Amino acid sequence: MKAHLTDNQLIEYEFKLDSDASLKTAAEHLETCKLCRERLEQLRRKFAALDLLREDIEVSEDLISSVLSQADKPLSRQSVFFRKPVWIAAAAVIVVGLVLLSTNKLKDSRLQRQHLVQNMDLEEDAPNQKIAAGRGETSVQGGIAGISPSVVVEKTPPDISIVPPIKLAILDEQEVSEQPPFAPASAIELVTLPRRENVQLTIYNSADLTLVREKRNITLKKGWNWLQFMWANTLIDPTSLSLKPMEQADKIDIQQLVFPPRLRELGRWLIRSQVKGQVPFEITYFTSGLSWRAFYMGTLSQDEKTMNLEGFVRVTNSSGEDYENAQTRLIVGQVHLLDQIAELARRQYPYGSPVPVVGGGHGGFGSRGGGEKWGRVVLGDAYDNVKMLGLEFDKLALKEIKKEGLSEYFLYTIEGTETVPDKWGKRLLSLDVKDIAVKSLYKYDEERWGRQTITFVAFANDKDHKLGETPIPNGTVKIYSHADNQRHLSYIGAAETKYIPVNEKVELNLGPARLVGVEPVLMDFKTENYMYDKDNDVAGWDEIRTWKIEVTNTRVLPVEFEITRGFGSAYWTLQFNEQGVSYNKHDATHARFKLSMEPQTKRAFEYTVRTHHGWREESINK
Amino acid sequence: MVNIDKNLLDAHIRGDKTAFRELVLRHGDALLGYLVHITGSRDQAEDLFQETFKRVHEKGHSFAGGHFRNWLLTIATNIAIDRLRRRGRIRFFSLDRTTDCDGQMDCPKVNALPVSDNNYDPSEEASRNEQKVRVRQAVLSLPAKQRLTLVLAYYQRLSYSEIAQVSGCSVGTVKTRMFRALRTLAERLPESVGAYK
Repeated sequence: MKAHLTDNQLIEYEFKLDSDASLKTAAEHLETCKLCRERLEQLRRKFAALDLLREDIEVSEDLISSVLSQADKPLSRQSVFFRKPVWIAAAAVIVVGLVLLSTNKLKDSRLQRQHLVQNMDLEEDAPNQKIAAGRGETSVQGGIAGISPSVVVEKTPPDISIVPPIKLAILDEQEVSEQPPFAPASAIELVTLPRRENVQLTIYNSADLTLVREKRNITLKKGWNWLQFMWANTLIDPTSLSLKPMEQADKIDIQQLVFPPRLRELGRWLIRSQVKGQVPFEITYFTSGLSWRAFYMGTLSQDEKTMNLEGFVRVTNSSGEDYENAQTRLIVGQVHLLDQIAELARRQYPYGSPVPVVGGGHGGFGSRGGGEKWGRVVLGDAYDNVKMLGLEFDKLALKEIKKEGLSEYFLYTIEGTETVPDKWGKRLLSLDVKDIAVKSLYKYDEERWGRQTITFVAFANDKDHKLGETPIPNGTVKIYSHADNQRHLSYIGAAETKYIPVNEKVELNLGPARLVGVEPVLMDFKTENYMYDKDNDVAGWDEIRTWKIEVTNTRVLPVEFEITRGFGSAYWTLQFNEQGVSYNKHDATHARFKLSMEPQTKRAFEYTVRTHHGWREESINK
Repeated sequence: MVNIDKNLLDAHIRGDKTAFRELVLRHGDALLGYLVHITGSRDQAEDLFQETFKRVHEKGHSFAGGHFRNWLLTIATNIAIDRLRRRGRIRFFSLDRTTDCDGQMDCPKVNALPVSDNNYDPSEEASRNEQKVRVRQAVLSLPAKQRLTLVLAYYQRLSYSEIAQVSGCSVGTVKTRMFRALRTLAERLPESVGAYK
């Protein structure tokens, strides 16, 4: 296809709306046509807006109660009085039909009841076993509460009705076959759920990325084992999944990780084991949805010469997974990601579709975001939540955050373990330093902040300021001040800080000042020293401006000012002679004045600046 | 293969009071999400939700097996089409749910304004909400059958053949509706949605 694809063709291609042949032709064209690929990307970005409407909607208990109360009502039966014989005959036919139908239904329901009872009996015999169905896991009765992502071990072939437990014992005595067993992509499996023994989270703040390392004790039989890992409704990157035995590594061979077709959000490891019994495994993967950020609260003393600084770390979990008693490590540093983890997590196929999926296939075009909740776990959720809530209240002791440097990153480790349930945020104290020497400063620079005077608080991340042990992560700083002798606080302002390395100075911009002011007034302007070229046109001149700067301090504290003035030219000279005001050339085009003001005073100073233009610029060198 | 939904429905018909609750819990969230996407209003969606499960209760004996979810969606779709046809463009809003939000799901409740969350960025949130409103308006502006097809395909992730089954039409008709919906959306969706997860 030489002609470019039309917008309609791109839509048909993206959503598999055309015939297989047309889709193939379009795909071939896209491989060679950069322009069409870019237009397709544009289209994808546009339709990605639809994902904004994806949201977890939960049915309220009130609504469930309303529905159930409807279902409790007996089905309404209308009484009809037939007057004509033909209606009576028709009614009789219907009644006979219904009787016959209900007889068959009764038979069916008895059979199904027996089947259900068989399943329930099986559950009672094996209390740690569970039937997992579809994408979620559904406890029919009892069993242990589901966790997700969860690991399950298939000890038997999938059909629960034909596998007697005794078969396991027989297999244990046999030599391990070289031929791996086939595991059909069936949605119903008989499994056990080994819980996490421990879990470690390493959360990056520069990207939506968390490394999870968890340990689970998994019982293997000698021979081939299928190990199923499910991550429904979480944000795990399935391509990052890794499994390794922590003991008996030479006797356990992890051969492959299979993502069965048609079954979403699960993978199965094939393990060949020379041993039987319980073996600790480490499972690692990346997930998104966990994040952390630092923020700080500074309290200035009444004279604004010292500040108490408290630092906090807030860990937020929206990964879809509860992490219980997790060792939590926080990383400061940039990482380079090729893919967004959340996007990978929502793929129908972990590595993309193994075959082209066209309309009518499973999931339609569905490689886009998910969030489905069909078949969710309902038993045990409330219990788990309450239990975790209890744990939080039990463990309110102050945690220490340890800090250590890595080559390009900085690592903070939260002391002990933390339970971070899904949809929870948790704030931890990371820094608490009293009486840091600080300097309050007011700055005026029209080119940066307009005609406003800006409040700054300055200190350094070094030992002189009782800091300097570790870098300080970027975050929001809120500054308060003791307003009176009763130590009431008043809010001064807030600032965003960058990552502050050790021995680095910090200046916090707290916003416009209210009680101090700087007012420049142009007092005089003239031009002179004109130069003319051969055509008698003006080729150079000087401009002379005299400025009066009025400075006001209505505060009850002495304050310092730093006033920066720009001249719009690198060719300037300044006449200035004022007591109590220092001046220096800040850069090529700016001068900076510094002065201190006593409480509730007002003063003014003047300077005259001469700027040289055109041919007169050369005179500056003379 | 054990059809858990069928078993639960049969148990309900036999009088097991917990079975119907289990069915509602298993499928309720997804059904409500579907109805919210169709109607753009939680109140209307909850209304249709009750109507759907009422119909399930009444017609449970007619479920012959297979995918319960598709059967449920078929019922919900029929009810929704019927309701949309009857009500036209008149919408009903609950006065105690939200204020001045034109039935949008994202409006803050009066007594639940997020004022103290440290992660809260009002400008970002406002921009995101504005984008959401525009996307929702674009979806709601589609003709009913196109909208149903889009929601079933995009948000419920049904295959085109499943949608055909649910909608009672051919796969070709489904694809045509889907194409028309997407072509309209390509014109009406906002150009840039910024970073979102």
